[in-house]
Amino acid sequence: MKMVLSQRQREELNKAIADYLGSNGYTDALEAFKKEAEMTGEMDRKFGGLLEKKWTSVIRLQKKVMELESKLSEAQKEFMEGAPTRGKRTPAEWIPRPPEKFCLTGHRATITKVIFHPVFSLMVSSSEDATIRVWEFESGVYERTLKGHTDSVQDIAFDHHGKLLVSCSADMSIKLWDFNQTFECIKTMHGHEHNVSSVAFSPSGDVVYSASRDKTIKAWDVATGYCVKTFKGHREWVRMVRVSADGALLASCSNDQTVRIWNTDTNTNECKMELREHEHVVECVAWAPEAAAAAINEAAGGDNRRASHLGPFLASGSRDKTVKIWDVGTGVCVATLVGHDNWVRGAAWHPGGRFLLTASDDKTLRVWDVAHTRCLKTLYAHQHFATSLDFHRSLPYVISGSVDLTVKVWECR
Amino acid sequence: MNPCSEAAPQHDVEGDGRWNSIHNRFLSDAKGKEADVVFIGDSILQALEHTEVWNQWFAPLHCLNFSIHRDQTQNVLWRIKNGELDHVDPKVVVLHVGTNNVEHTAEQICEGILEIVRTIRDKHPNAYIVLPSLLPRGQYPNCLREKNAKINQLLFEKVNNMNKVEMVFIDKGFIQSDGTISHHDMHDYLIPTNAACRKAFEPIYDLLQQILSEGEPEKDLTPSE
Repeated sequence: MKMVLSQRQREELNKAIADYLGSNGYTDALEAFKKEAEMTGEMDRKFGGLLEKKWTSVIRLQKKVMELESKLSEAQKEFMEGAPTRGKRTPAEWIPRPPEKFCLTGHRATITKVIFHPVFSLMVSSSEDATIRVWEFESGVYERTLKGHTDSVQDIAFDHHGKLLVSCSADMSIKLWDFNQTFECIKTMHGHEHNVSSVAFSPSGDVVYSASRDKTIKAWDVATGYCVKTFKGHREWVRMVRVSADGALLASCSNDQTVRIWNTDTNTNECKMELREHEHVVECVAWAPEAAAAAINEAAGGDNRRASHLGPFLASGSRDKTVKIWDVGTGVCVATLVGHDNWVRGAAWHPGGRFLLTASDDKTLRVWDVAHTRCLKTLYAHQHFATSLDFHRSLPYVISGSVDLTVKVWECR
Repeated sequence: MNPCSEAAPQHDVEGDGRWNSIHNRFLSDAKGKEADVVFIGDSILQALEHTEVWNQWFAPLHCLNFSIHRDQTQNVLWRIKNGELDHVDPKVVVLHVGTNNVEHTAEQICEGILEIVRTIRDKHPNAYIVLPSLLPRGQYPNCLREKNAKINQLLFEKVNNMNKVEMVFIDKGFIQSDGTISHHDMHDYLIPTNAACRKAFEPIYDLLQQILSEGEPEKDLTPSE
């Protein structure tokens, strides 16, 4: 692009340069410049700091323009293509659409995690206010609060029946809650030496896995409450642990910038695989459902019909602003999703397997078209960092939580 | 002995122990939260946290704000020496303190600020230290206003050549042509309002963005046609 300045603009630029030289003490350069540019007389005050101002404001304006352009194209797309009506939506295709159906308030501090109940139309949120809240997501009605932790609740998970809820906290404990009848804490497990950041049930519901800032992952026998195994290998705070659908593998991620894969059933407690490609703390991991294999293979660029990557597949989100999809069978990163403008904090797969959803500190939720590795939809979801999200297994709902103290329910179409 | 550079807790003149409570909360925040930017200082920065500007500009950068109303240089120094920066790993520390040291001379206060800068540097050798200049105060010209201007000048001479220390002048544009400061800018003629924070802290925001994006590939920002 050729830039041409009018004479008047050129004179103004010269004056701004002269002001810059003068105010930064480059007196020799100023004299020489004034002479060469044939400038005379006093400097007008309006040129004070003008060059610096332009220098920074151009970047700021262009950033704003880019934001507006992407919002506009989003709105255009919505307008041109529209969204299916409720009647025509299909479970494989539906994605959350604004505005939110409910904005639920009640927590007094940052929401750390939101999850759906596997059976009932309930959802659960955990918070830095040390409580866990239960809500009905189809009506937006608040049900109850579970109190017991004495510091931030960091993560929550249901067993596959939804009869037990497990929670972990910065108070270094893990608690099991009866979700069948009493909603009381039935067991508290101690053993970690620092903040417990994540918990997950094995598919059978017999074992709970926990990840901690003490750099370890522990396995706990649900029946007895004893720690039965400790996995060591991460060099920093372990942020999240998730169990594969068959229960054979654990995926964990850490401040040491790695994602690690562990065998659950062998006697060894050593790391099976280390996935190292993120350039900052890895905040979250999510195992892909089997239905995602086709889309992921397309994303990996195999143009032969035969699926070259067999999986299992895992998504990871990082403070480096990217989301990566890994073939855990071979330990290769098969796709990188770029678009978030700040830390990526939460990831959840669409049950249909074609889409991945992420939550980020850029306050948005994004829906990624996995096969084409592009962002399909951006939801400007919250006033502050979006920390967590979950996709319902069978009903058209997504939930999100944020530092803005709200939990939101999004309906899919 | 310079009282500005001898670490000391704030006197609990009111008797409710709030200063200590706040310090303890900062200690636990430092342990649990990972911030790229830590603001530490006095009333001015504390007020900043309750403005729109904070939510709009600073919160998205992953900031913690360890500022306490009425703190003086020796109080901030005490807090840093007693752990507030021990469990964080910030890329930038923003320090603003000195305007409340009303009983001390400009030279003493400047030395106090430098002592804090040295203490931060010891704990975080690679962090940038950003020093917004002290704002003018009082509706009419007064000796504290002159003293703050002098501190700014003294401090700039001392830190100008320090590595990774950036002093940013944010005090322009508050004194009107008749020499007064408007209550629209500082409602009590000391603490900046939301509008004033927008004016004063914009260069700080720009600088933080630049520092935090160092090392990232530069985006092509040529407007699309």
